[in-house]
Amino acid sequence: MRIRIGVDVGGTFTDVILARPDGRAFVSKVTTTPADPGEGVVAGIKAVLADAREDPGNVAEIVHGTTVASNTILQRTGARTGLLTTAGFRDVLEIGRIRTPGMFDLGWRKPEPLVPRRWRLEVTERIAADGSVVTPLDEETVRAAAETFRRERIESVAICFINSYVNAAHERQVHALLSDIAPDIMLTASCDVLPEIKEYERTSTAVVNAYLLPAMRQYLVRLSGRLAAIGIKAPVQVMASNGGMIGIAAAQERPVFAVGSGPAGGVTGAARLGATTMTPDAIVFDMGGTTAKASIVEQGRPALVTEYEFRDGISSPSRFIKGGGFMLKVPAIDIAEVGSGGGSIARVDAGGLLLVGPESAGGDPGPACYGRGNTRPTVTDANMVLGYLNPAALAGGSLPVDPALSHSAIEQHVARPLGLSVIEAAHGIRAVANAGMARAIRAVTVERGRDPREMVLMAFGGGGPLHAVDVARALDIRQLLITPASGVFSAAGMLTADIEHDVVRPVLGPLASIATAEIESTLADLRADGLRALAAEGYAPENTSLRFAADLRYLGQSSDLTIALPDTAFVEGGRAALAAAFHAAYRVSYGYQANEAIELVNLRLTAVGLAAERLDFSRLHLDPSAVKGTAGTRQISLPGGTSVIARLLARDEMVAGVTVSGPAIIESYDTTILLPPGYAARTVDAGAIVIAPIEENA
Amino acid sequence: MPDSITPTTGPLLDPIGFAVFKNAMDAIVDEVAFTVLRTARSEIIKDVMDYSAAICDASGEMVAQAKTIAQHLGAIPEAMRAVNAAWGGTLKPGDAVIMNDPYSGGMHLPDIFMFYPIFISERLLAWVVVICHHTDMGGRVPGSNAADSTEIYQEGLRLPPLRLYHDGAMDRTLEAIIGLNVRVPDRVLGDLRAQYAACQVGAREITKLAGRTSDFPAHVAALLDYAERMTRTEIATWPRGTFHFTDHIDSDGLSEPPVVLQVAITVRDDGLLVDWEGSSPQVGAAINSTLSFTKSNTFLSVRCALKGDIPNNAGVFRCIEVRAPEGCVLNPLPPAPVAARALTGYRVMDTMFGALAQIVPGIMPAAGEGGNTVVCLGGLQDRVPFIVVDMISGCWGGRPDQDGIDAITNPSQNLSNTPVEVMERQHPVRIEEYGLVPDSCGAGRYRGGLGLRRSYRLLADSAVLQLRADRLRFAPYGLAGGEPGAPSGNWLGEGNAKRALPGKVTMTVVRGDLVTHHQAGGGGHGDPLARDPDAVAADVWNGKITAFYAARHHAVAVDTETGAVDRSATLRLRRERGVAT
Repeated sequence: MRIRIGVDVGGTFTDVILARPDGRAFVSKVTTTPADPGEGVVAGIKAVLADAREDPGNVAEIVHGTTVASNTILQRTGARTGLLTTAGFRDVLEIGRIRTPGMFDLGWRKPEPLVPRRWRLEVTERIAADGSVVTPLDEETVRAAAETFRRERIESVAICFINSYVNAAHERQVHALLSDIAPDIMLTASCDVLPEIKEYERTSTAVVNAYLLPAMRQYLVRLSGRLAAIGIKAPVQVMASNGGMIGIAAAQERPVFAVGSGPAGGVTGAARLGATTMTPDAIVFDMGGTTAKASIVEQGRPALVTEYEFRDGISSPSRFIKGGGFMLKVPAIDIAEVGSGGGSIARVDAGGLLLVGPESAGGDPGPACYGRGNTRPTVTDANMVLGYLNPAALAGGSLPVDPALSHSAIEQHVARPLGLSVIEAAHGIRAVANAGMARAIRAVTVERGRDPREMVLMAFGGGGPLHAVDVARALDIRQLLITPASGVFSAAGMLTADIEHDVVRPVLGPLASIATAEIESTLADLRADGLRALAAEGYAPENTSLRFAADLRYLGQSSDLTIALPDTAFVEGGRAALAAAFHAAYRVSYGYQANEAIELVNLRLTAVGLAAERLDFSRLHLDPSAVKGTAGTRQISLPGGTSVIARLLARDEMVAGVTVSGPAIIESYDTTILLPPGYAARTVDAGAIVIAPIEENA
Repeated sequence: MPDSITPTTGPLLDPIGFAVFKNAMDAIVDEVAFTVLRTARSEIIKDVMDYSAAICDASGEMVAQAKTIAQHLGAIPEAMRAVNAAWGGTLKPGDAVIMNDPYSGGMHLPDIFMFYPIFISERLLAWVVVICHHTDMGGRVPGSNAADSTEIYQEGLRLPPLRLYHDGAMDRTLEAIIGLNVRVPDRVLGDLRAQYAACQVGAREITKLAGRTSDFPAHVAALLDYAERMTRTEIATWPRGTFHFTDHIDSDGLSEPPVVLQVAITVRDDGLLVDWEGSSPQVGAAINSTLSFTKSNTFLSVRCALKGDIPNNAGVFRCIEVRAPEGCVLNPLPPAPVAARALTGYRVMDTMFGALAQIVPGIMPAAGEGGNTVVCLGGLQDRVPFIVVDMISGCWGGRPDQDGIDAITNPSQNLSNTPVEVMERQHPVRIEEYGLVPDSCGAGRYRGGLGLRRSYRLLADSAVLQLRADRLRFAPYGLAGGEPGAPSGNWLGEGNAKRALPGKVTMTVVRGDLVTHHQAGGGGHGDPLARDPDAVAADVWNGKITAFYAARHHAVAVDTETGAVDRSATLRLRRERGVAT
């Protein structure tokens, strides 16, 4: 029997899911081993194999969402990295885009660049904006730089020259020369990552790639070795930031594509679940211990951005707060993140305003109710006081808790300063946290011109199902869907991904007049690049799907919209259709359209290798141990302070056909669903639970 | 212990609903700003981000501000008064009023304010305000930003409050007038459309929010009161007294004498009095700052000195009384020219920071670069006009507990920069260098940031160069024994033909000319000899300062090969200089 395994390494737990071809699934959660995450991965895989009584030799594929790339940046443990630039531009990386993420903050610290000035060297060369050579490459300056890199024991070098997006000849020349004279140094040429206009963004992307190369190679090689040692010979695939998978070889060459690997699995899974449950347009809402994340799925596909900023701490959901992180010009799922998780701490400021997060008590010491030394109230404590969480223990009974500690924490830090009762204060903490999460959802919907009211809110993560109904209500969303395997859904989602490679080529010019031949030849080049990358991973052309797109904007703008191109070859009629599609998309996003000239900026291709055995949610059924819970009743408090008796049931009681009306609490091993009065829940395909106001759920 | 949220008038609000409302306002105003960014046409807006957005209540008090140019927004109250005087009570849904006249509450002609009223059931509920720096407003110099104009009539098209949009449609008369009077009408009109689109987004979202909020005006009032209470609470912890500081602008560019800015901040029990008495009389050149702009920068400086996340709204302004004598450079009378008034605004900030450093020494930094340098190049390329408006940012001064920042926006703004590749693709210029200037930092226990340099080679036959720089004579000051940063500089040409230009220049340049600007470095904070020698060595290792600088300013000897402190040589140096070791 060929089985597949998905592995999601989180901050606290490593989640593993094993799926058999018949859809039967087993899950395990083991403690993450931060020093070497591979240890936890192997431990989790061994545990799930034992649970399922499966032989390691039956494992056909492992899909891995890894935080190795993101942690390497956050912890600054990447390569000794050098940078080669055009003369006059060694500081482009450090200058960046000049902005600060917060205003009025005179104590702000700008992140140190990944390459210090000492290791940013210049070579004599210059290409003009039209691609012509202003100054030919002086190879002597490259040799001198190589000597410096050798002396400074540089392990990895990024090469990024001004205007190389139009003419990459000098970058390629330098790449070839350095491979020759400094074969031990790993190289990343910016034109090989993604050749797009804007020197800082391209330099930053190439540098991050160079910085990650050794760590990612070492991790993946060692992981393969460990897996082989326990008898698994199956290939490892890595989740990429765009929600697709890339093979282990590609991940070792271009790790910058895997910086957003961690959260991608859940969104991809949500897209597939949407197809199973007839909800192709959904808001994906993932609330964990420290943050909550929002993204959208449209017509069964995650919404992507072509650049994003990776930073320390919490990403603000606001789009133009830049300057606090590392710019990555690679396609990624458009995720907004706010510091509202179960562990987020509530406090009252000097002006009498109640604030929740971004400071978090995390999993250790954790919320006050854990009794491990934190006495400040968290969102989990609010949920505890209101009766929404099991008052004896969490995580299927493995984590004992004390609600009295939640009560006193809220009383001291929130209720008394605001002159409220503890119950009112607890509702307040939830309301503020929910408003923050609603803001993240607005960032990916309203700010993108999408109306959340027309979409389904798909919730998962440890806290998602506990807050989903209130968050939905704040945005007038009427349909919710709680995913199956909510607590390990990211790992499950990884098993639903396809292999994807993104390639891009600049084609700057007015859409109306650019030569059809140029467009066609660029598309042909993209096709060749994409098929080559897929062939390297064993995908024959018949098992591939090619999605072409164009980046367009009104002449003179700086931001573009990505518009899908039909798969067929570009023809004269295609030009008009493309213009019409751009005008329409622009109107949706910004509320107006101009009758002005359109500029073509880039052509893109996502080359997809269709995974033969991806997980089909319609056939998923979880092992019973994952859906156990307590049954009975519990007193809970509703907003406004009314106290009611809620029905308490285990998730495995929610079999198909059963409808439960709120107030009710549905418990399972890894998550709790809160169903307020006026709402009803019923199980649909794949063990997903649909929640809607009662009049709509009939 | 704080009270509940009690607006000065109106009902008691529940604290939770209030917190939710505040978050919603912040989200909406950022959304307005984001729409501008994505739809604008000019680099100065979409790349440099010289624009701002705010929501005002029905009376025109600013309630929420996007994370954009802070400096713009203190000017809104005066501008709003002019708009109300001209149009109060006559506007309808879909209308939008624009204005740029500095003597009606504006700042300088390129900054066009757009005011968009939001109505619910025919009652005025709030305003969306979007201010953009436009590429050109006509006048004698491309970019309409010359520092050497002598009266406002030379500076371009002056717009009193006028209704640009009527019931959703652009007024054809105004469109034609603006189109004919500016050098790049496509850009200016395109950017005005972007402003309008952003206003509509704001109106749509505010309308929805008002529908969800029980008493919108009461919530807005509470938001203003909240900011006021936070501000007063913090000022109450400051030492009482009057604190003085003086800083300078090199000159107005037309005459030699420096322009003096002098401030006295009096900390009272319930707020601040900021008096600019003693500052220079208004000047002949275009660096006069209108009172609204002076107030704007005064408010903003105080806001930077406050801890905590206080909303930047009119509630903060209530705690600060600003006085500037009529006819002085900070409160000029018409028709004084004002186009380059931003410079004076930066110096208002520097002067305020110097005085505030005596009040809250643990927060305030030494002086940064002193405001961005504006470089305009305008001319014809193949008979089509082109205008480059570029801004070169700088650095922050050393801080009480850490170094200043290299390569960063002035804190009075939140500007970005134009990518070299975007600049070269759109304009006939080649950027030949964009980098840090080593050794330009003011030495201190915590050093100032390094200045930035940028150079432009003209690829068109000829162009008018208009450059506005400062801090060539009066370098950014240090604090607590820290040294001043290196002065800025302008140059034309290269090699032996390289010659220095004055700070403020309007001149013709021709094909192949190379124009170079060096921004000033930030001032240092604390005694340079008290700097950790390892931190000195790290800067040498990293090419930010030379070993020569380390020895001269810090009496630290560094081995450049290893980047380590040479302990014995350092001891020798310090003994020779009579410094305690």
